[in-house]
Amino acid sequence: MGYLSAPIRYMMENLNIEVIEPPPITRKTLELGTQHSPEGVCLPYKITMGNFLESLEAGADTLVTLCGAGKCRFGFYGAVQKTVLGKNRDIQFFTLDTEHLLRDLQRLLGKFAPKAGQLAIGRNIALTVHKLRALDAINEAKSFYGARAAVPQKTLDICEYGAGEIANCETFGEVIDTRDTVIDVMRSYEQPAAAPPKVAFVGEFYVLLEPYANRWLENELIKQGLEVKKFVYTGNWAYAKVLLQTLGIYNEEKEYLREARPYLNYHVGGDGLKSVGTTAWCASRGFAGVIHLFPFGCMPEVVAQYALKNLCEDYKLPLLTLSVDEHASDTGLFTRLEAFADCLKRKQSLTSE
Amino acid sequence: MPITVGIPRALLYHDFGELWHSFFSHLAVPVIVSEETNKRLLDRGTTLAVDESCLPLKLYLGHAESLLGRCDRLFVPRIVQHHQGFHFCAKFAGLPDIVRNTFHLPESKLISPVIQTGARSEILKAAAAAARSAGKTPWSGWRSYRSAYTAWAQARDREVPSGNAFTPRIAVIGHSYLLKDRFLCGDIFAVLKANSVTPVTDDEVPRRRLYQEAGHFAPDIYWQMAAKLAGSARYFAHHPAIAGLILVSSFGCGLDSLSLEYIEQQILGSCGKPYIVLNLDEHTGRTGIITRVEAFWDLVKWRRKLESNLPAYGLSQRPHPLYDGELEY
Repeated sequence: MGYLSAPIRYMMENLNIEVIEPPPITRKTLELGTQHSPEGVCLPYKITMGNFLESLEAGADTLVTLCGAGKCRFGFYGAVQKTVLGKNRDIQFFTLDTEHLLRDLQRLLGKFAPKAGQLAIGRNIALTVHKLRALDAINEAKSFYGARAAVPQKTLDICEYGAGEIANCETFGEVIDTRDTVIDVMRSYEQPAAAPPKVAFVGEFYVLLEPYANRWLENELIKQGLEVKKFVYTGNWAYAKVLLQTLGIYNEEKEYLREARPYLNYHVGGDGLKSVGTTAWCASRGFAGVIHLFPFGCMPEVVAQYALKNLCEDYKLPLLTLSVDEHASDTGLFTRLEAFADCLKRKQSLTSE
Repeated sequence: MPITVGIPRALLYHDFGELWHSFFSHLAVPVIVSEETNKRLLDRGTTLAVDESCLPLKLYLGHAESLLGRCDRLFVPRIVQHHQGFHFCAKFAGLPDIVRNTFHLPESKLISPVIQTGARSEILKAAAAAARSAGKTPWSGWRSYRSAYTAWAQARDREVPSGNAFTPRIAVIGHSYLLKDRFLCGDIFAVLKANSVTPVTDDEVPRRRLYQEAGHFAPDIYWQMAAKLAGSARYFAHHPAIAGLILVSSFGCGLDSLSLEYIEQQILGSCGKPYIVLNLDEHTGRTGIITRVEAFWDLVKWRRKLESNLPAYGLSQRPHPLYDGELEY
């Protein structure tokens, strides 16, 4: 999912665990996953199913995934995938409960790498979370400087190269140095011009973070000269789940709830409340528009959609709702995106005159 | 000026409607319930709802709209969790918000008590809140809830009559808001009855038994409604009087998309009984459903005829381990 895999692979290999990384997600992954999934299930299930099948083809015998009970379907993925994949196959299937991520991760790594001490495991987890947060930072910088660069593609390339460098860093200091260097290089391409329109990217976690699922929409927006602001990041999420929740000081939800009132007054599972909360936050902070992105049929985001419609109408905030499924072709999405970008730019030029 | 409360005849009304009715009648608050589902309500709901909503939610909005001009308050409870460890789907947790956003209603127009853990104290709090928004005292809310609940629970737990075990029976499994809606599922039952088959639903199974069966899938299934479905599927799949199973689902149902796959893999695939999954949507042509149910019944009949010509273990069980070839008919 997004840039989650590279640092995790590094961590596992550092602990002498043999890792088979699924091949990058392609059309084939999706088709394979869709073939082995129920028709009405949401896109992340189909993609992860494809990932599992491709890794099994590549010789993996142990699969690890996340789960966690709630109102959303995501927590049930593991149980169904385990049943389907375990048929006629001798595999081990592990699930990490998102409510106790640190505990489960420590146990799992302790099992796979019995020779490594708890200290080494703890250090490796910390380093991985640190790397993921550095990756968050360069991705945020990519969007900021990319939208202000003469040739946005260059900034995107720098970011991608930098991400590979960070994944292979060995110490905490090295991670910070690399991160700062990458951001400095990006900054050098900045053009002094008027601030580009800012667009908030809200919606479901997986499709926001996995570039294949959202068809590199973020990069596409940057190329259109829009600054993209995301509120979910892999590293931030890992940090909140591994550290803050273990310490019991994770109360992000309350803030979102305060923002989302009166449009949505309850946590509806998944990222539904977050989508509404962040959109309300953006509405009062001069954002030019909001893109709501989610997999087709996503239960929490459908509830959020009811709230977003009214919220954006009341605040006169342009809203583009995109739901993606396995049939999504790039052209359909990009046409809508270009039209939306044109609308925003036009609106900005009209109001600035 | 007395307040009239409107209750949409959709979603959890089919499970708890009687409880809600008697709660308000103990409170001496007049209640109106929307009419039975019809094409007009469904069409209105489909127009009002966000496209990707599931069929039952679209229906709910249609029902809610039909009540708007006729009552002072809408009763839209927010049910998040009723039993420890079991959740409801996101749409139940967000139902009052969905209704308010769709019709641009102020908070005061809704009576929406929150049930989020199923603890006794919390239910009493919810009853008090509901009474207060209906213009009554919290004390009368508690009293009404107590008497309503006692009567309702007694009626619910009474012995269920079991039908004649010698006539073939088909189990119909699905969420009660689908099965009990005559507009959506009436045809399924009518076709079965026309062929002199007795349909059975999980209403005829003691609740305790259902959840016992569901306990086999304990940590996996964490939705209450999916657990109930899996429990009844497991019960009926192993019940000797049941000749086949019809599973009813609706388009866009997030729970069913995964839990039916799970039920198929875990129970139905290996039980040897014929089963069919019927997916309902807002297209109201009746023929599609009727044809499929008839075809399914034909299949069950053939299977029963075949089985009577086969050795004692029948087709319903796996072939003998010594007999490892394909079964030839």
